[in-house]
Amino acid sequence: MISLVKAAVGGMTGICRAHSHQLAPLQSCLKVCAAGLKTYQITPDYSNVVLPEKPKLKFLNKVPNLKKAKKESKKLRDIQGPARAANSFTSGQYAIVALGGGYLHWGHLEMMRLTINRKMDARTTFARWRINAPYKPITRKGLGQRMGGGKGAIDHYVTPVRYGRLIVELGGKVELGEVEHILIEVAKKLPFPAKVMSREGLEEMQRKQKEMEESNQNPWTFKRIVEGNMLGIRKVLSPFDLRNHGRFTGKFHFPERV
Amino acid sequence: MTATLCATLLRNQGWLPLIQSVRHGSKAVTRHKRPLHILKQKLLAVTQYIPPVRPVPPGAYPSKNKHVQEDNGFTLLLKKDLKKVFEECKMIAVVQKNGSSAEEMLVLKHRLFKHGIIVKSFPNQVTRSFLSDSVYCNMAPLFIGPTVLFVSKEPKVKEMLSALKASPQMTLLGGCIDNTLLSAQGIVGYSKLPSVTVIQGELVSGLTMLTSRTASMLQRHPAHLSALLQQYIKQQSLGDGVEAAPKAEEAT
Repeated sequence: MISLVKAAVGGMTGICRAHSHQLAPLQSCLKVCAAGLKTYQITPDYSNVVLPEKPKLKFLNKVPNLKKAKKESKKLRDIQGPARAANSFTSGQYAIVALGGGYLHWGHLEMMRLTINRKMDARTTFARWRINAPYKPITRKGLGQRMGGGKGAIDHYVTPVRYGRLIVELGGKVELGEVEHILIEVAKKLPFPAKVMSREGLEEMQRKQKEMEESNQNPWTFKRIVEGNMLGIRKVLSPFDLRNHGRFTGKFHFPERV
Repeated sequence: MTATLCATLLRNQGWLPLIQSVRHGSKAVTRHKRPLHILKQKLLAVTQYIPPVRPVPPGAYPSKNKHVQEDNGFTLLLKKDLKKVFEECKMIAVVQKNGSSAEEMLVLKHRLFKHGIIVKSFPNQVTRSFLSDSVYCNMAPLFIGPTVLFVSKEPKVKEMLSALKASPQMTLLGGCIDNTLLSAQGIVGYSKLPSVTVIQGELVSGLTMLTSRTASMLQRHPAHLSALLQQYIKQQSLGDGVEAAPKAEEAT
């Protein structure tokens, strides 16, 4: 190494050869004097991340495997209100979070599966479903039928989704920036408003909601008035409002309400 | 069918409810936002979120408790190096290098190394944060732009200035010599000062000037001394001693 340095330097000027015993300053002279030294961000440590065997999203059936399919009532309350199940991260780091209620049918699920499987790098990322395959039967009557004559036949199956539920989780040796564009593309095509979040993003959202509740300067809150049934307001409200403190209406969520 | 519907409604044979509502609103969960009852609208308007009153908009003033960024390992290493430099070297000069190529830097460094001056470069941010903690905090304004440090154990200012004169792009900003902060002019003035031994010699000669003169006069012939003393008395009596005394001094 030193001989190489000597040869390189000797080619440039004769001064260097004369002071062969003073090699230290010459070696440092060959360094490029930059205007400033760049401080590098330490790359995140992925040593404890385990990639599963099948990283891609699995195929979900259009129709559940039932011997006898039973017609079900509409039960729109499976869209109402906040999600109690599957509203936190399990194995992944980044997810699509539903910000409203709605039904996902097989077409949506296929779109999600194909887009994500095509766009993600199977060597560094893995994806997991956080919703079930469609299980709720939706009936339809034939075209041009008059009212009556019994309930229609089962047309297709859907998965109900509530506000705050995770749809798809992504994880692996990647950062949010690498994965965001894939998930945003999918999130835009869903029938309800959805957002791409990391674990920290979700925590941040929950923290902000709590902060809003605590820092509210209004002495009159929805919860206080409805729980005390002030002015008999429960005549025009439902038990759903009592439970959700005016933050939800039907399938919609109001982020500015506290 | 209608038959089945009627069966559920008719509790007793031939009983129909008095009022049957024909109009019904939409269900609870709709694709559109259902029109709210006026009382519910009023309730929602009354119970809106009121944010806490902030005296100043959040981004108006810089925050009082500045978020001090944790130093990464590299910064700590650089700071240790800086500390060593400040402890060991008597002379530290801050020079701005504008548009000097690697060759010129090489030549300059070689010239300076002959006199024992080392050229060091540190990132400005690191130096500023180090200086703010140490005694040399007033040096912080010097570190703006592409700066380099010329450090040496012995204050060899003349050689440094001559080397800098040769390379016109290097601008001397200031420095710290013997724990005293000096500006560029201060350093130039410092270089013009004579060396310590010379000054010591001058001081000693100045102090012993009187005694040495008397000693030299006494060593001469005593007749010479007596003539001098007579002349001195004459001058004293005449009253214009100032002019005659130096003349007498010159004569001896």
